[in-house]
Amino acid sequence: MALIRADGLSKGYRSGDSLVRALDGVSLDVPQGAFVVLAGRSGSGKTTLLNMLGGLDRPDSGSLVVAGHDVLRMSRDERAAFRLHHLGFVFQAYNLIRVLTARENVAYVLQLRGMEKRQRLALADRWLAEVGLQGFEHRRPDQMSGGQQQRVAVARALAASPDLVLADEPTANLDSHTGANLIALMRHLNEQQGITFVTASHDPSVIAAARTLVTMQDGKIVDLREG
Amino acid sequence: MLIYLQLGWRNLWLHPVRSALTAAALAVGMAALTFLSAMNDGWMQQIKGNFALTLTGHLQIHAAGFEQSRKLAQHIAEPDAIVQRIDGIAGIRQLVRRVRVSGLASSAGSNGGALIYGVEAADEREISRLAGFVQQGRWLLPDDVRGVVLGAGLADRLHVGLGDKVVLMASVSNGDIASEVFRVRGLLHSGVMDIDDLLAIIPLRMAQQWLGLGDAVTDIVIRADDFDTVDPLQQRLAQALQGQGLEILRWNDIDPMAQQWADFADAYTWVVLLIVILVVLAEVLNTMLMSLHERIREFGLMGAMGVRSSQLFVMVVWETMLLVMLGSLIGFLLGGGLAWWYGSRGIDLSQFAVAFSFMYMDPVIHPALQAASCLRILGAALIGALAAGLIPAWKAARLEPVEALREL
Repeated sequence: MALIRADGLSKGYRSGDSLVRALDGVSLDVPQGAFVVLAGRSGSGKTTLLNMLGGLDRPDSGSLVVAGHDVLRMSRDERAAFRLHHLGFVFQAYNLIRVLTARENVAYVLQLRGMEKRQRLALADRWLAEVGLQGFEHRRPDQMSGGQQQRVAVARALAASPDLVLADEPTANLDSHTGANLIALMRHLNEQQGITFVTASHDPSVIAAARTLVTMQDGKIVDLREG
Repeated sequence: MLIYLQLGWRNLWLHPVRSALTAAALAVGMAALTFLSAMNDGWMQQIKGNFALTLTGHLQIHAAGFEQSRKLAQHIAEPDAIVQRIDGIAGIRQLVRRVRVSGLASSAGSNGGALIYGVEAADEREISRLAGFVQQGRWLLPDDVRGVVLGAGLADRLHVGLGDKVVLMASVSNGDIASEVFRVRGLLHSGVMDIDDLLAIIPLRMAQQWLGLGDAVTDIVIRADDFDTVDPLQQRLAQALQGQGLEILRWNDIDPMAQQWADFADAYTWVVLLIVILVVLAEVLNTMLMSLHERIREFGLMGAMGVRSSQLFVMVVWETMLLVMLGSLIGFLLGGGLAWWYGSRGIDLSQFAVAFSFMYMDPVIHPALQAASCLRILGAALIGALAAGLIPAWKAARLEPVEALREL
């Protein structure tokens, strides 16, 4: 059974007098354990699709089932709870809560899920080590480089054992070397632990890492290739 | 809960200068408010205390209807029996008997209306400040039956001084007019117009004889332990004297002026409190809205991670509460400390002594913060914090994560 089943997702918004179709009847099935990259130029609809898959945005029409949950029938709070228990996010930048240390940022989601303190701190430390940030536990975001911050974001996204990790341009603010390392890490976790990733990016190194490459244009999927 | 406090506290210090300035503004406002309240409480204690101790006492027992009619026909015929009946009731610190009647005072050169008091010269010192107001001459002596102490204003109107003769005239209990000659022994300067311009004080025994009252009196004046015990003491007295045809009046029933002063001061403090809280609210609201605006993307991130709207709401309210309570507590301690310092030393305002004495105030003010004022100030700060937090909290809670994440 597919982890994500999106069918006919459409979303439009008004820009002046004209109607812009951000998504135009997008259908996509993503199986468990996939590493999907949504590629395409700016404005092609990849971030809109990613936000919809994460229950952050709602389509005008279509249906969407993620991890067996009909996301579009959920209330605002139900969607928040769904994200907390099933999803992990990595954004382009400003991924972390500024006043929390790396360890606290990772542990925060676990705390929201009600995990006991000692257990969540141990888990946070384990995931920080997993992403190569052992020794950085007590640093705040402004004491880390952009690449290190993104690694903390990946650790946070993965620490709660989500069904799906959604990443929006995770390498956009990183230099090519750091970006390549981050993608290698994500790919490693996908292969070793079977975690499902859906990543929106127009970075060639990310696109090259895709096991499933979805190319979008003008709100439509124009190409889908298995790597 | 702990995570909200932790986040709130750390967020406050993301911009330490801004938060410190806001907290400092709060502290100054709260310190001023606390000190003002302490001044006010000190004043009010003084006014009430001086008022009650100057003349009225805390409670008075009269024949029913006397306070309204002021006629000698309505007197307490057997005051000793009444005193015996209330002897031992808890809360009575001291009591004296008096005769009180309106009359006319005349001298060789002039005359004028007078309020004549017959008092127990020795005991009166324990219950009122009248003896202390004698600035020329002396207070009455028990065996000096023809002595009179006059208010300085009345003496001026009569053109009399120490040792001069004064004739007092009043309507006695059967309606006849009686007069008696007295010699001026002392002059009162209380600063209170009603006392200085009207009072003529003579020995009780003389007043009873002259006015044909026998052993009867018009007032039994009681000094209670303190103002807080007046109401329960009134109830106990009413119970003990039920069916005796008497009225038991509190100090503020007899003359509501001091109570009105207290009520006015109370209302004034509320107005000042409201203004300070509004100014502080505007300051805090501004700070919190700026902070919210800077952190919109962070709120979006938290929403995306699965933090519910209600949790964001609570987090922002806590943050505001922390800021307000921090500033308020510092201000309260500053203002309270200042009040304590001046409370023991006093603030000398003797240059306004004449105006103050008119209102039963001493020239030296001792700020004294009351528990009710503390509760009012801290309660207002708490409510203010909640109110200031509601708008930014509501804004944070209704942010759509997807919209917030687009903010840079």
